[in-house]
Amino acid sequence: MRRLHSALAVLLAGSMLSLPGSLAAQERTVKITGFGAKSGVVRVFGINSEAAMKAAAEEINKKGGVTLGDNTKAKLVVEFLDDRCNAEEGISVVRRIASTDAFVAVGPTCSNVAESLFGILQKKVGDASDSGLQFPIFADVAAKGGLAKISEWAFRNVPSEFEMYKSLIAWVRKEHPGLKTMYGGVEKDFAHSNATYGVMKGQAEGAGLQVLGTAEWLLNDTSFSTQVRDMKRANADIVAISAHPFTTCGVLKEMARQGVKPKLLIGLTSSSSIETLQGCARQAEGIIIPTSFAPVTPEAKAAADQVAKFGGSADLHSAAAYEIMFILKDVIESQKIMAKPDTVQADREKMRKGLAALTETKGLLGKVGRTADREAIKPYLYVHAKDGSWQVLHRPAL
Amino acid sequence: MDFYLGLIQIIGVHTLLGLSAYCVLLTGQVSLAQAGFFAIGAYLAGMLTVLAQWPLIPALALAGVVSAAVACAIGFPALRVKGLMLVVATVAFGEAVRLFFFNFTYQIQAGALHLGPHGAEGFRQIRYFPENGWSTLDVVLFIWVVVALVMAGLWWLDRSRVGAVLRAVGEDELAAQSVGINITAVKVSAMTVGGFIAGIGGGIFAHYTTHIEHAQFGVVLATFAIAYPILGGLSNVFGTLLAVIFIQGFLIEGLRFMGDWRNLLFGGLIVLAMNVRPRGLLDAGTTRALKRLFSPGREQSGA
Repeated sequence: MRRLHSALAVLLAGSMLSLPGSLAAQERTVKITGFGAKSGVVRVFGINSEAAMKAAAEEINKKGGVTLGDNTKAKLVVEFLDDRCNAEEGISVVRRIASTDAFVAVGPTCSNVAESLFGILQKKVGDASDSGLQFPIFADVAAKGGLAKISEWAFRNVPSEFEMYKSLIAWVRKEHPGLKTMYGGVEKDFAHSNATYGVMKGQAEGAGLQVLGTAEWLLNDTSFSTQVRDMKRANADIVAISAHPFTTCGVLKEMARQGVKPKLLIGLTSSSSIETLQGCARQAEGIIIPTSFAPVTPEAKAAADQVAKFGGSADLHSAAAYEIMFILKDVIESQKIMAKPDTVQADREKMRKGLAALTETKGLLGKVGRTADREAIKPYLYVHAKDGSWQVLHRPAL
Repeated sequence: MDFYLGLIQIIGVHTLLGLSAYCVLLTGQVSLAQAGFFAIGAYLAGMLTVLAQWPLIPALALAGVVSAAVACAIGFPALRVKGLMLVVATVAFGEAVRLFFFNFTYQIQAGALHLGPHGAEGFRQIRYFPENGWSTLDVVLFIWVVVALVMAGLWWLDRSRVGAVLRAVGEDELAAQSVGINITAVKVSAMTVGGFIAGIGGGIFAHYTTHIEHAQFGVVLATFAIAYPILGGLSNVFGTLLAVIFIQGFLIEGLRFMGDWRNLLFGGLIVLAMNVRPRGLLDAGTTRALKRLFSPGREQSGA
């Protein structure tokens, strides 16, 4: 009897000792931290990014998770931090993430935050004289052109607005040869809107359109009567608005009030979202916007449904966050990232190397090219607002 | 660790911003111009290190001097008005500075890059710290040496005749004038010192954020600048430091885990703090109690 008790005790002790290990093996997780604006005027972008990251993580986890360098399987867990679209807070958030075991961060929302964040990163890999942070950041939303150039640790999965507007303006010239003049509107104090308006205007002038003037307003403005009055006076064939949904809707409503009816309306990429339709579907009717996302493929439709389940909306920004999660999964597996506390710096270097080596990734609309300066070449299409929804107007052959 | 060091950097720079407003508040004036002086210091110091390749310390010194000169020039007309009128006048100045930088472009070609302020798109690549191999700890030490020097200077000033004059003007202008104090000179001097401190703070801010743009220097920053000394209390310079730790360390960073609720709590906790401690977190009574606690003998002999 005593022998039996001893044997049982040994068995119990053995199983107790092995239990935490086996549980840990079963429940191994890898945390991917996203960050962006979840407060203020642009909070919706952060909410959508978080939902998209969680939706993608669920998809990956459903299929077994991610295989780590030691051949164990891990589930992806998403955490999302608010930087309030503030550069100082963005730096603090990234330092917070970098002080954990994280080997990559996804964000930010705002281009002005990305400017500062990429600035604190080491500029050139392996430059011992540069004490910048050695931590890879993969941007999903910050859309101002050329930001990844700032640091070799910075990556973006955002579309090239230069290419998109170049193509759109050329298409407009071909499809509507009778339109000769354009009037611009720009949300002057927002880096992305301001930079993209430069692209729109440059392309329009280059394509032979006469730009009659530009109305300027600020992100927090709520009154646009003076700007629209000037727009009305110019009586241009095309009105191109480079602004986010909130002021785009304000301007469109004021245009409707003052009876400004251009023959063609062009909008900013970021306004091809549900927020514009929620805010001013009637006034936005007909507006044409180039975008790198629309639910036009089975993958894109499934992604949009998944993101909606997590309380977000799939648009060109959040779809980028969704794609990033799958890119990270592939890089974790190809670079054999260990995701252990004692391999953090090595994992970060592997992640950076893996991301830098990519020449092509899978996107929701098709293949996405990667450039040497760590930017994406994404497929795009033109959508227009029709009957309260975004519908595909044209899909350029790329 | 890097995160905490980064947070200490932020607290240091915001302490300088708060101390710049503290100087002016001692004379009883509420100035919302500090964000403007901070912006001038940020842009000027950034341009000196990036475009003119100056070392950091002379760049900060010149940024401080120029901000002080602007503060002095603004002080004369602005301080002819009082109370709410002064608030409006200084807000107008701050906005004028912000809009100046909103439209200010001065770039030079450096290889494939264009460096320098670029209007609404801001001023990027102010990378003096990383490019010169400064670690986060080096930056923290540098910032806190500056903060300590400024605090020591203001502490000494507060205990000198000059400090007594500043507080006399702040307590009762008429009484101060009746004993022969030149009110205008005192107020303008306080504004100038405040401008100098804000200019240095702005210069350091530009270098640790590496990118600056007009929107960072708006009314919100100006409000934070005066909120620090008001919330902290005007009995001594440590009140401002305490308030910066409370706002930046606790309300902004400490509550980040609360997500969307953080912003709601932020305002509520400031209102609560001001109700519980209406004369500031570190008012005269608390300062006396702390003195008694840490040097009871000295307090008794003083009594």
